[in-house]
Amino acid sequence: MAIFLPRRRAVALGAIMVIAGGLALGAVFVLSGAYNVAASVRHFDITNKLIKLTLRRSIDTHSAFVKVPDLQNADLVRLGARHFANGCQPCHAAPGSRQNPIVAGMYPSAPPLGVNADDWEQDELFWIVRHGLKFTGMPQWVGDGRDDEVWAVVAFLRELPGMSEQRYNELAGAAGSRSGFTLEVAGEELFAQCIACHGDDRTEPVSATVPSLDGQKQAYLRRALEEYALDMRQSGMMEPLAAALSREQIETLSERFARMSRRPLERTPAEKGRDSQRERGQHIAMKGIPRQSVPACASCHGQTSAATFPRLAGLSKAYLATQLRLYRQGTRGDSAYGQIMQSVARKLTDEQADDVATYLAGVSDLPSIEAPAPASTPR
Amino acid sequence: MTRRGFTTLGFTFGAATVLGGCSGPQSVFDASGAEAQEIMPLFWTVTGIAVAVTVLVITVSAIAVFAPVHWRRHLTSEKFVVAFGIFLPVFVLSGLLTYGLLVMQAGSARSRSAEGPGVTIIGEQWWWRVIYDGPEGEEIVSANELRLPVGRPVAIRLQSDNVIHSFWAPQLGGKLDMIPGRTNTLTVEAIEPGISRAQCAEYCGGAHALMSMYVVAMEPDDYRQWLEAEVNPATKPADAVRREGQRLFIAHGCGGCHAVRGTPAAGTIGPDLTHVGSRHSLAAARLPNDPQSFRRWLTDNQHIKPDNFMPEYDVFSDSELDAIAAYLDGLE
Repeated sequence: MAIFLPRRRAVALGAIMVIAGGLALGAVFVLSGAYNVAASVRHFDITNKLIKLTLRRSIDTHSAFVKVPDLQNADLVRLGARHFANGCQPCHAAPGSRQNPIVAGMYPSAPPLGVNADDWEQDELFWIVRHGLKFTGMPQWVGDGRDDEVWAVVAFLRELPGMSEQRYNELAGAAGSRSGFTLEVAGEELFAQCIACHGDDRTEPVSATVPSLDGQKQAYLRRALEEYALDMRQSGMMEPLAAALSREQIETLSERFARMSRRPLERTPAEKGRDSQRERGQHIAMKGIPRQSVPACASCHGQTSAATFPRLAGLSKAYLATQLRLYRQGTRGDSAYGQIMQSVARKLTDEQADDVATYLAGVSDLPSIEAPAPASTPR
Repeated sequence: MTRRGFTTLGFTFGAATVLGGCSGPQSVFDASGAEAQEIMPLFWTVTGIAVAVTVLVITVSAIAVFAPVHWRRHLTSEKFVVAFGIFLPVFVLSGLLTYGLLVMQAGSARSRSAEGPGVTIIGEQWWWRVIYDGPEGEEIVSANELRLPVGRPVAIRLQSDNVIHSFWAPQLGGKLDMIPGRTNTLTVEAIEPGISRAQCAEYCGGAHALMSMYVVAMEPDDYRQWLEAEVNPATKPADAVRREGQRLFIAHGCGGCHAVRGTPAAGTIGPDLTHVGSRHSLAAARLPNDPQSFRRWLTDNQHIKPDNFMPEYDVFSDSELDAIAAYLDGLE
């Protein structure tokens, strides 16, 4: 055995020298600054291929457990299109518009999605939009826990490849008529941006998950915009818009929506739900569920309640149900107001939340709680 | 610190803890109820006999180990074994059993004599719902304070609609569990006016230790007057600040959980606040009853009583908080 020892030692020594030498070379390469990080200098072909392979494999693996919901809703496509026009189009271009040269100068440049959104499966698109991509300039979705919003964008991206300019403009509405991240507009044009998704006294919101704002309380609207701007309420769609608003703009917009006369309530039979469901919902809204420590909705959201508490009657069921779900899963509830509602929403069962959303969506007003008749005659 | 230092410290703390329970509003040694008074001699008798038996056993053991042979021989005699091994235990234990049964008998006799209006106490998490039988048989809902007339056995019906609690007012008598789905009746008779303290004596969740209340024993005439006032709806807010407080209270949905009789607030989830200003404490004896405590409770109650079911209302301006606190404080 002893005779092999020197040879083994030599091998070990050699290996150590190779590793140390490699490390030293690497250190020289990194620390000398010889590598050129300029976007104007392209990767080698092989580097490019390796990066792309890593990217594809990573996205494929990480999106493996994403469950694709039903995206057959025309509402979602339209909502996704309006957000695309605000948040994605500036880099990814849209049908009928060319990519901005500045964006084209990025390396890697944002792919024009009108052409190659097809490269990805729906679950992969979701994962990319939700989480963003390192070192590419693709940001993560800013609304934590708002996967529902991401799916609206995916629903739109599915239809985007090969879409005609006319169809795109129709889907994106007023939101598509400009480019850039911020609301560098004022007055009527700014107002039009809001209406493009939220509707007004004549038109419905673009999607049932978007709340109509006609005649909503001003103090609540102001609070909502401030909470979005401060990241105290989560929405990848509203946060960037609210953050761009000045205090005066928030004041003007909230006042304008508050003054707006209310659109008459029209509900399809499907939205109205079954009678029994509405009755259960009404009971919760007016009486609460004392044994579950759930107070009546009407105690805080009735007609004469505080201005900072929103009117809920007449909002769409999809919006109300989504918000209740966000409260219950802890996504909404960062503000002091949100904390109050979260503590109530968490005590509801799935079925009760659905019942009460159905009821509130079907009535145009929720009366406040009146003084009960005295149970005993005061002496 | 030296080892002796630690020992001294341990003794000091231990003694302080033990002796601290010997007096004060929540002490069994300051009996102010008929039942507690009867239990007291039983307690001292049992304690005295236990001490005597312990001393006896130690003495006999010492004799068995250290004493001279002729002493030890006595221990093995048949006479000694029969006297101390059979007759003494039978005599002492039978005596104590009889005494205990007599005390229980006295208690149950008092229970049967408990006529007139009683009180229902329902254990909540983590407070007490207190419902008095009114002068005309109506229910008078209150919370977190028990008032009793002196000199009359009162039946307290103990219930729970959530988990098991236990009602224990040490100055008045023994403890009794509050079990969901059944009513346990505890009869107490206060023998002198004064304020003592009750505590939940069965672990009932996070804030169990913070579930207490004051028990106020009153002269019969005072009690009657108080109960007649308790029937009434809440007093109208006396000034502009309190009126604003009431408006804020209603507009912010407080009535969804709390009742203030005579106003739209009719919630049954939380404590009834109709006469909250006249109670001796807030939040089940957690805070003194003053405007400052109302303010603290509104905005910071999760620190004061962790995990309690009320959300924090950190949404008011300073003047709004003052107004609400003034309104609630004025509900006497």
